[in-house]
Amino acid sequence: MVASGFAIQTRQLTKIYPGFWKSQQVAALTELNLAVERSQIFGLLGPNGSGKTTTIKLLLGLINPTAGDALVMGKPAGDQDTRRVIGYLPEESYLYRFLNARQTLDFYARLFNMNRAQRRRAIDYYLDFVGLDPAVRSRRIGTYSKGQTRRVALAQALLNNPDLVIMDEPTSGLDPVGMLEIKNMIMRLKDAGKTVLLSSHQLADVEDVCDRLVILYRGRVEIQGTLNDLLEVKDTFQLEARGVTPEIQTQLLEFAQRSGLTDVRTGRPRVRLEDIFKNLVDSKRKAERR
Amino acid sequence: MHHSINIMSLVADAVILVILVAFILTAFRDIARIGTGISRAWAVGRTTFIEAWHNRMWAIPVIWMVICLILGFSIVRGYTPGSEVRVYLTIFIRAQEIILLVYLGILACLSLPRERERKTLITTGAKPVTRLELLLGKIMGLGAAALVMLLAMMLFTWAFMKVVDHNIRSDAMVSYKLEKKNYNRLVRHVPPDFGLLYTATHGVLQAQNYITGKLRIAGMISYATNPPTRYLKGGSTETVYFEFPSIPANLSYQPDFLFRFGLFPPGRPAEIHITAIERENPMVTEEASVKLNAAGSAAWTPKHPFRFFSYTDPQTGRVLSPGPVVLKVTCPTFHTYLQIGDGTHLSNCSCIVTGVNAAMLHEHGIDYILPKADPVITGFKSNGWQEITGPGKTGQTPPEVASWEFTHLNPLAIPKTKNGKFTLHLICGVSKQTNEAIPNYAALFAYSSDDPTNPVKILKLHINEKRVTVVQLPERLLDGSALIVNLSSIVHGHWLKIRTNSVRIMQKPSSFIGNLFKTELIVFCEVILLITIGVVSGTALGWPVALLTTMCCYILGNLFHFVSVLAKANGFELLNIVQEHRLQGVWYYQLGSFISGVMVHVLEILVYLLPNFTRFSPLPFITASRNMPWLFLGQNIFAAMISMIPAIAVGYLVMRKRELS
Repeated sequence: MVASGFAIQTRQLTKIYPGFWKSQQVAALTELNLAVERSQIFGLLGPNGSGKTTTIKLLLGLINPTAGDALVMGKPAGDQDTRRVIGYLPEESYLYRFLNARQTLDFYARLFNMNRAQRRRAIDYYLDFVGLDPAVRSRRIGTYSKGQTRRVALAQALLNNPDLVIMDEPTSGLDPVGMLEIKNMIMRLKDAGKTVLLSSHQLADVEDVCDRLVILYRGRVEIQGTLNDLLEVKDTFQLEARGVTPEIQTQLLEFAQRSGLTDVRTGRPRVRLEDIFKNLVDSKRKAERR
Repeated sequence: MHHSINIMSLVADAVILVILVAFILTAFRDIARIGTGISRAWAVGRTTFIEAWHNRMWAIPVIWMVICLILGFSIVRGYTPGSEVRVYLTIFIRAQEIILLVYLGILACLSLPRERERKTLITTGAKPVTRLELLLGKIMGLGAAALVMLLAMMLFTWAFMKVVDHNIRSDAMVSYKLEKKNYNRLVRHVPPDFGLLYTATHGVLQAQNYITGKLRIAGMISYATNPPTRYLKGGSTETVYFEFPSIPANLSYQPDFLFRFGLFPPGRPAEIHITAIERENPMVTEEASVKLNAAGSAAWTPKHPFRFFSYTDPQTGRVLSPGPVVLKVTCPTFHTYLQIGDGTHLSNCSCIVTGVNAAMLHEHGIDYILPKADPVITGFKSNGWQEITGPGKTGQTPPEVASWEFTHLNPLAIPKTKNGKFTLHLICGVSKQTNEAIPNYAALFAYSSDDPTNPVKILKLHINEKRVTVVQLPERLLDGSALIVNLSSIVHGHWLKIRTNSVRIMQKPSSFIGNLFKTELIVFCEVILLITIGVVSGTALGWPVALLTTMCCYILGNLFHFVSVLAKANGFELLNIVQEHRLQGVWYYQLGSFISGVMVHVLEILVYLLPNFTRFSPLPFITASRNMPWLFLGQNIFAAMISMIPAIAVGYLVMRKRELS
């Protein structure tokens, strides 16, 4: 067993899904070595079928590894006590359609042996935290929109105030505002000292929030490192300023050419579409409230 | 041959033991957490219950009520008021059993497979809940659903029966007043029926607590001799049973059965009909009719002696021993009575086996075997009733007598009236062959078996057909070690129809609702056991296969006794194919016989492994207006719990290594 000061640590973790014939076997994950530090947002990237969800299920003990081992919060993966400090948001919101939001959270809170007062407090707090409209809280989840269901799923993942939150495609099914809110939430979790393992193929999400990431391809680690290390272009410099007139722009270009710089480009910076969309929706909602 | 049952039972027990040991070894950590785990299991159970509710579980009691009312009103027509209650209760409780077993069996089989399909098990499985808690939670949730539905059904049954009871009481009071009026006006010759007054006062729903005796004799008794002589009536279906232990015989020395009856009237030619049965395997039978000589004796040798006597197989040298043998004897000759000896020693034994073993004769001077003493006689049997005839027309032939023996009585536990009497209830039917216009009277002899100084109490009773006849007896009769109550009709042509518990020593009655609740708990035991099997089947199988498996378990669990009996035959004997001499040594016969033998033993092991559903019988007490003893309920609850543990162990062992997604 590997020694651990990390939130998550795996050694040679391998998962092969068996088939009737050997040729039907699928190697979902091959010799994964991973180390996630505490209070870090760690991104797990990769295309479909790269082994992200398999890794998460192995860490939660939902499936058994074919080889290798994993430590989660210092204990073997799947340990019942460790699950008390883990929150898990699955890639789809696998919730009971016949329960309403409050009943759903009450059920999961009971699994953490919370007493009645604790349950009530936690349910109110996290339903507010994920921004679920109070009007729908006593409606059955089967009648919810995908975004509302996702919010309940997120609330159940946070219900036990976990030290480690594992999120599988947290923004799937959400509108851009919802996505942004989720990203803000993740940042708030980080500020609160939580460790977050974020699996996504929404690269922008990962880029916005992660400290460190790993990219998987066909069950193997292809790239691993901090976001800065991976994204920073070492030999390029970028300057942004306000009040740049066409004359100053021309002078700057001439200066660059004189200095022997190559691939010099100038232009006006653009705001992100996500920001425009969010500002629009926010202003409309404020107007509606008035 | 009869040893095989123990071996198969032992094999099944060993398998269960291995499962339990494996369960304890692998689940000890989860078992240790069960203290806090119960609340988590209940969380799972609560969700399962809510799901069942959303699946319109509440409609089940409504459907049941409709079915019961339709069935009840259509079937109950033509029944007497007393039977009406029994019919309603039978329909209501049987329907509960069937509907709940089917509905909850299906829900149990769907439970885990549906969670896997909807992947909700992934979210739940990521929480600190063990597989054992998941399994227990499912069982608890469906068990709670069963309990709620049973409670709803119980309340409806109670309310409905109260209405029925009210009507019966009103009718009884009207009838009693009419009889009393007619008696007072001398229109009626017999006093008003006390049973009617009893019904009008107490109703028919009370859960009676009473002590039943052993009905030992149902033949003609002559009190002229000491001990009284018992007779088998010729031309009737009265039957005497002679039971022998496994008979060790050497077939080279021809054994046979020897009958010696006292003939009445003496010297009249008579015939007996014999049915020999191997008791552990009732399919092995042989029948014969034998003529008695003028002294009332006859010998009979079975055509296939090896079915009933032990013998040594000449090929293998093994001693093959059938189980105990029962001889049923009837006398088809009319106007003849066979005197039956009490069988306590050779001189008064009406049937013995002679010529069993030459070596025994040589060494011990005896070569006979006696049956069990005091052979049982049963009367005419129809619909569970036995009939005893009244006296002959001229009084030459005495009436037949039914005798109950009450042993181990605790006089303090039997309530007494102010004048020091205890109450006996008599419920019997009357079959009037002649003298139809005359009311029936019976003679009741009550005495203490081992106290000759305690005088016999003799009462003349007016019998109310299928209604309670209340008898007050003096307390002194309870002083001996046993109370004997003999009953006989004293009107010519009037036959009494009796059951084993027709005579009862009454104790304080209990409430109907309490008895109904205990009955529902027995149904609950059966249902929760099936739920457990269903949930466990669903741990590894898809729901259609799980449903099939659960059904098979239930059916096999109900065939427990049948398969146990079946397994005592060997090979082709199962199909009652007797090995003929020409087939001896033929390989295909032996192979076929071997395969069928193996298959039935596999079936036997399976039946021993599975819970025995035949033990859960909720109806006998409540339909007989009898309070269910707590011991009986406890035994059923204990049996259900004990049967659930290996099932849960299997479920856990399957689920432990099973991936949740």
